[in-house]
Amino acid sequence: MARVDLTRRTWWPASATVVIAAGALGLTLLVPRLFSDPVGLDPYVLRLSAVAAALAAASLLSVRLTDSRPVLLAVASMTLAFSVFAGGPQWIYDISGNRFDFNTQVLLASAAEALLTVVVALIAMRASPPDLRPLLRLRRFGPAAAIATVAGVAAFLLLVMLLPATLLGREGLAPVALARDLPLQGPASALQSLAQELQFRGLLLGALDRVAPAWAANLGQAAFFGLAHIAVQYQGPAGAFVPVTILLGLVFGWITQRTGSLWPAIIIHAVADVAVTVGVIPGLYGY
Amino acid sequence: MATERPRPARVVAARAVAVLPALLLLALPAPVRAATAWWEPLAFAGQRVSSVTAVGGQIQVDTGTGHSVSTDGGHSFTPSLAGHPTAPPPPRSGTTLWQISSGTVVTAPPGGPLAIDPGAPYLGAAAQLIAAPAALPGVVVAVGTDNHVWRRATSGRWATSFILLPAGGLSGAPRVTSLAAFSAPLTTAVYMGTDGYGVLLSQNGGDDWIRADPGLPENVLGLAADPDAKALYAATDQGLYVHHLQSFPAPPAYQDASLYLRWLGIGVIAALAIALALLGLRRALPRPIRPRLG
Repeated sequence: MARVDLTRRTWWPASATVVIAAGALGLTLLVPRLFSDPVGLDPYVLRLSAVAAALAAASLLSVRLTDSRPVLLAVASMTLAFSVFAGGPQWIYDISGNRFDFNTQVLLASAAEALLTVVVALIAMRASPPDLRPLLRLRRFGPAAAIATVAGVAAFLLLVMLLPATLLGREGLAPVALARDLPLQGPASALQSLAQELQFRGLLLGALDRVAPAWAANLGQAAFFGLAHIAVQYQGPAGAFVPVTILLGLVFGWITQRTGSLWPAIIIHAVADVAVTVGVIPGLYGY
Repeated sequence: MATERPRPARVVAARAVAVLPALLLLALPAPVRAATAWWEPLAFAGQRVSSVTAVGGQIQVDTGTGHSVSTDGGHSFTPSLAGHPTAPPPPRSGTTLWQISSGTVVTAPPGGPLAIDPGAPYLGAAAQLIAAPAALPGVVVAVGTDNHVWRRATSGRWATSFILLPAGGLSGAPRVTSLAAFSAPLTTAVYMGTDGYGVLLSQNGGDDWIRADPGLPENVLGLAADPDAKALYAATDQGLYVHHLQSFPAPPAYQDASLYLRWLGIGVIAALAIALALLGLRRALPRPIRPRLG
């Protein structure tokens, strides 16, 4: 096998790591569906987290996997944080009983998701070689970022209203439910968006941007973002979400790269999450 | 005569690991799934049914060809000379009667006179859609002529419950065509029929609404609840449909042994994925140059 100098970074190790990690998670997620019913009993977030955590741990222990470390830690941040978010409300209920209502449980789980993401991000920054440290782009929010934020939010809302409601499952607004839910669901969505943007456009895109051309780095993280939604929508219709979320991932990645700031993607993502929670999810999944 | 060479142990082990998921698949029983459709076609397939009422086991519908009646749960209909379906009785929440009069909601206790419900909104002179589930006394849902859906909480407070959004950028919001709830305490559900969004369902007195129309056309023109048959009927532009009261689909129940075997299979596949990924990374990544001492 060829030997290379660690000081001469190329795109190959990070790209190969993205493909192999995606393959391992895809195998772990989808093969059990051949013999296991996913509804309610299938601990899919746990097995995804176990695989991602094992690969990240191996990268921290093995010098051979040093170049893979930033990508594998980014993947671990996604799966571990999603596990905490997905299981959080039930764990909180098991521990505290009826002490917190569902909205509070979701807010607490979202806070835990964001906190865990920040912890893994700190590990990635500390444990990665200096020239491979992910570009988190959290310290900058200039005029271009502000314009991109406003334009992105407006474009998203316009696009959602133009699309046929039957396609989106958007029937209407429920003011009573909104007044009850938004004071807690709004901050929860903001925390989830912060966590997810930090995972995909911060850690993963930031790691790929170190070694690959901008377009390739963006394509890589967007593809991973789209495929990850097979897991997010594991108990619902997943297929339609993949191309849409790949496109969204490309847009968020492009905005992040062009503005040099992660904040526009975080804010647009938060607005989108609130809009989806308010108007789309009940229509798609309710009956 | 050729002699068989013994297979290396690692080949046998690898094949056993590969075959294990298939064995699990064959050994385990198929999970129990919900078998009853949420909505089922009942009669007048492909025809426009403009209204439906269901009172005392009798179903009456209006179609393009006239007025028809069924007394056998919708299995057969006979034309009726009566001009229009019999109007359903005003909804009752418990023993309290609710109805719309002169554009606002009026109520009457048992044997008492009708009076305007305090705080009730003005719904418009032509408003007529109102429902009150018997299982939630004091809860009322009513629709204004502006298509806004109002709900009265058990506390007596009225608030806007639902505002239909446009179906798309170039089209308007669908019209609410009907409301229905059971006059016996069978369920807390309130059903809202729309000419475009199918049927929406609220289980908490109109606070939250979700789509409840798998199997049903999008254009619903009328709804009728029959507590005797424990059924909800929907008049649509594609025929008459029925929904029999049932629980939401529940997760399947497994025997303990089946569950453990499933989890074992999942664990094997996760371990296999980790091993393959590490092997792939070792083969794909270049070996780093170690600094030479001295």
